[in-house]
Amino acid sequence: MTTTIELNVNGVRHRLPVEDDDLLLDVLRTRTGVTSAREGCGVGACGACTVLADGRSVSACLARAVRYDGAEITTADGLPEDDPVVDAFVARRAMQCGYCIPGFVLMSHELLAENPDPGPAEIAGHLEGNICRCGTYQEIVAAVRDAAALMGENA
Amino acid sequence: MTVDSPVGGVAVGERWARAGARAKVRGELRYAADEPVRPCHDVAVHRGTRPHARIAAIDVSRAAATDGVIAVVTGADLYAELGDRIYTGPAFADQPCLAVDKVRYVGEPVAAVIARSPGAARRAAEEIAVTYDDLPPVHDVDAAVEGGAYVHDELRPSAVFGDLKHLRGRRDTNVNYEYVLRTGDAEGATAAAAHTVRGDFWCPPTHHVPIELPYTAAWPEGDRIEVLSATQTPSYVRQSLADLLDLPLNRIRVRCAPLGGSFGAKMYDRLEPLAAALAWTYRVPVRVAATREEAFLLTTRHGAAVTGSMAADADGMLITADADVRYDTGAYADVGPRITAKSGMIATGPYAIANVGVRSRCVYTNKPSAGPFRGFGVPQVTWAHESLVDELAWERGEDPAAFRRRNLLREGDVAAMGTAMHSADFTACLDAVTEAIGWTGPLERGDGRWRRGKGVAVGIKAVLTPTISNATLQLNQDGSATLLISTVDMGQGSDTIMAQIAAEVLCLGEGRVRVVTADTDVTPYDTITAGSRSTYHTGNAVRLAAEKMRDRLTGLAAGHFGVAATDVKLTPDGLVSAQTQRTVGIADLLHAHFGARGTTLTTEADYSTSWTPYDKETGRSPAVTEHWFAGAAAVRLAVDTATGRVRVEHLAVAGDVGRAINPALVEQQLTGAAVMGLGHALFDQLVFDEGQIVNGTLLDYQLPSVRDMPDRITPIIVESPHRTGPFGAKGVGETAIIPLAPAVSNALRDAIGIRFTRLPLTPERVLTALQKGTA
Amino acid sequence: MTPVFHRPDTLAEAGDLLTRCDHAMVYGGGTAVQILAKQGVLFATDLVDIAGIPGLSGIEETGDGLRIGAMTPLRAVETSPVVRRVAPLAASVYGHVANPRVRNTASVGGNIAHGDYRLDPPTALLVLGATVALTGPDGVRRVPVRAFFVGFQETAVRPGEIVTTIEIPRQPDAAGAGFSKLSSLSANDWPCASAAALLAGTSRAFGRRGPDRLRLGLGAVAPTPVFTEVELANDISEDDAAEAARAAAVPLVDPIPDVRGSAAYKTRLAFVAVDEAVRTAWKERFDDGGLPRGRRRGR
Repeated sequence: MTTTIELNVNGVRHRLPVEDDDLLLDVLRTRTGVTSAREGCGVGACGACTVLADGRSVSACLARAVRYDGAEITTADGLPEDDPVVDAFVARRAMQCGYCIPGFVLMSHELLAENPDPGPAEIAGHLEGNICRCGTYQEIVAAVRDAAALMGENA
Repeated sequence: MTVDSPVGGVAVGERWARAGARAKVRGELRYAADEPVRPCHDVAVHRGTRPHARIAAIDVSRAAATDGVIAVVTGADLYAELGDRIYTGPAFADQPCLAVDKVRYVGEPVAAVIARSPGAARRAAEEIAVTYDDLPPVHDVDAAVEGGAYVHDELRPSAVFGDLKHLRGRRDTNVNYEYVLRTGDAEGATAAAAHTVRGDFWCPPTHHVPIELPYTAAWPEGDRIEVLSATQTPSYVRQSLADLLDLPLNRIRVRCAPLGGSFGAKMYDRLEPLAAALAWTYRVPVRVAATREEAFLLTTRHGAAVTGSMAADADGMLITADADVRYDTGAYADVGPRITAKSGMIATGPYAIANVGVRSRCVYTNKPSAGPFRGFGVPQVTWAHESLVDELAWERGEDPAAFRRRNLLREGDVAAMGTAMHSADFTACLDAVTEAIGWTGPLERGDGRWRRGKGVAVGIKAVLTPTISNATLQLNQDGSATLLISTVDMGQGSDTIMAQIAAEVLCLGEGRVRVVTADTDVTPYDTITAGSRSTYHTGNAVRLAAEKMRDRLTGLAAGHFGVAATDVKLTPDGLVSAQTQRTVGIADLLHAHFGARGTTLTTEADYSTSWTPYDKETGRSPAVTEHWFAGAAAVRLAVDTATGRVRVEHLAVAGDVGRAINPALVEQQLTGAAVMGLGHALFDQLVFDEGQIVNGTLLDYQLPSVRDMPDRITPIIVESPHRTGPFGAKGVGETAIIPLAPAVSNALRDAIGIRFTRLPLTPERVLTALQKGTA
Repeated sequence: MTPVFHRPDTLAEAGDLLTRCDHAMVYGGGTAVQILAKQGVLFATDLVDIAGIPGLSGIEETGDGLRIGAMTPLRAVETSPVVRRVAPLAASVYGHVANPRVRNTASVGGNIAHGDYRLDPPTALLVLGATVALTGPDGVRRVPVRAFFVGFQETAVRPGEIVTTIEIPRQPDAAGAGFSKLSSLSANDWPCASAAALLAGTSRAFGRRGPDRLRLGLGAVAPTPVFTEVELANDISEDDAAEAARAAAVPLVDPIPDVRGSAAYKTRLAFVAVDEAVRTAWKERFDDGGLPRGRRRGR
């Protein structure tokens, strides 16, 4: 069945006819121009397809688009230019190939929104479902801590 | 206007930001599948279900009748068009992009569907019905050596490597290549030894799992074919497709994008032959996007069995060592024969040993093909030699670090395979990692549930030789530069490193040199981006091109100033004449020279290495490689004796990189390789049952997450400059993975007194050994 | 074949679809169903999405404890201040499932209806004595969670029924609770063994101890989540309590071997998990002197 849904992607409204089994990831990538969410495993285990839907992290590779009618979708490329999490990742060199990093950035945003001062165990607990095959975890954890500090200063 | 930055000339050794860092973090960098290309049809592959069988019949009628299907293509269809050219591969031309007469592993592509959507292609592929006549499969590498069932009827060496020619047409064997090394008298020396240790070692097959999935798009463009692919080897792919389609090289364009990791997975022939064959034969634009489950079937890391021994005399000097190595290369050889030789020649480690015997074989089995993987087969032999040398130290009652230190190869020493060491400071690496983890300090060993131990291991690897790199440098009139190379940045940071090398020579500042993404229409030939070779080889081509550019500039400036060229120096402030005390910026100089803005000055250079092939009898060569990689790892860990789980408390890794062009990137390569190696040590493996992968999804395949990190990781850069490296530099991508697993195992030996010979060191393996008192 | 996707507005409509269709499955959070579909092993003809049915989501405090709607995401249970106060063990154990993205999407009802023997939440629901409410053609049926898991990936849900609510009794104030999850490969992997323990007894004045009941819920160590309880003697020591718990677990442990471990290894891990869970519960229930701790939670 075709249903027309409305997605607010990084502040831009899209009205999109979707089939019942269209995946949010495919809709975002092929119909809204988002390329920062990417398939890595197809089963929600690597985090490369992470987006925020109304602030909550979602594996877009497992999500039916029809379920997200009316949702505010945030992807990493839609974050503001002065985003403190992005700044902290860049400053900490928290990237190698970079493919998985947008997913880590969005997971970090979700964590920091809930817990402005997470300790190492809380950071690891929130990021454990994201795989960086380049092994950049030390830098990523440091970046999240820096981002927490940056956001604390600006709060 | 001048835009010269005053910070040039200090590029090498600086921690410049990674090229594209912010774009990567924001997800704005485009990988291959993110690149807009012309509208493509989608391809889905029907895969075989038998490990070894003749294809009796393929019924494609239902698939062809599926909505949205453009064509259903079988191996026989492509064979009718391409003949034997359908068989490709870097060492052996043995792999068809669609199985022609038989299937040789579970999951081999048998037919392809071209359709108007991914869903239609997938649905149709499921409708293809294949009838098989089963053949006896061979799953185990040692059973395959014995023979009986043969994966290939005859060996088909490719045209690429002359030294494989003698294998053409050989029948009734699964061994597609054998390397033998003999020096001294290994047997005689064993008889005279005071201490001897032996072991049978096993490293299981593993998968690279770069998070970016394999992807290739291909389309005919008039009388040419264009390909956009996630590959580390654009130059190779162009040649391979030229052979496949019988086209001149200039009618094939292979474009790359930055890779989302690769580690050896995306090189040589992966999706490209299928995509190109379909696009060219059916004259349609196609896109082949592998799922994660399919990616597991495209290539793997060789499982390897090593039977080895090592012996020392009463003074604690190593006197002899041997190794019998069997690499399980799966159904297709890929570059397995190269791995077999390059790893075989250092299978007894970085030690001065007068009597050495090695036999290293590459063996077909009915499994997915194994190919290059970070370390190129060396971690598997290192697992054996670093376990043996460690056990020999225990046997002697000596500190394992001290025992290694006495026996390690030094600068100028000639190794067993006949080539001398240079810029490979093993002892410095060993000392650095042991010092970092406090080797000689107190260790709270524990006596209850948790026990602690420390371990160390050293690794050696030769860089792939001979190879070729080219660089074309365009200095733009405004003083920025554009660098054309076919090295592919896959996270190792080559775009940054190459820019720094050019910038150092030309005194340009950070961000002034941009590297063009590889495109065979534009960027010049480069053998491969692999084997940690780029910093040295492409780096040297870039350095030479930049030096030519510097000479052009000083020549132009000499004319400008009316002085001799020897009077002019290129400095961060521009070109300076000592005699006249005049200075001119690059922008003004080029503007004056060309009389126009926006012009470019172009130079180019190539850098090739050569070698002396192995002696056929002894396997020795006085110049087997252009340079060596030297590294070490040391580990402090705790073992949970209730569960068998290992917790790494401190991991230190060191690599001799000659000279670190960018220390930050070098440290990331060291830690990244260490993290991957830690996975291999503890849980990362492909599990097969009767040739079928049991854990081929990321729900089951185990990769280190942030929760698997050691409490502490210390990367250490050791620099003993290479005499011909660019600014003394060599590569580093593989160095830390090589000694990682044995370092962990050696620490377990220290903690619980048990020597493990099989990887990975899963909690179950550890706990079972603790119960039995032996592995 | 792609299953037909239905989006009913009422429970009755949903129940009707489930009864009428050839092989219908409830589509809750969708996580497990999407994975099955990706792997080509989803054999349903019809999917019945219950997200549009009002009233299936939410956490409510009742006189006896909690009522949690089936469509409530796992993460809402984990982070809910109410759950953390009324049944802290449940909040903690729901927080161990997979990763935050899965917990944001997967639903409480779907999680339990999935019936996977390795899931974490059933271990807590078993020891807390939760009840699953099922709505079907004949109205609402309430099944104690201890009777819910009837076989390998098989639950008490009958054709046409939908899990609508999970009721969790209040965790006794002075109880001690513990949870242990042991994976054998990467830390984030499915468990090889998991155990929840709840230690509760009759309060006595002046810190005197009465007999305690120890409840155990185990995951991943048998074809279904399993439960047992034992009465502990007065003034038993921590070590003896752990020993009694391990002994009580023996008849329950019947692991399925796979790439994560042999049956023998999983059996060993089962007892380690029981031991750890019980000792954690013990420390929450008793102080260093072996006396019951005071009330820990306000109302």
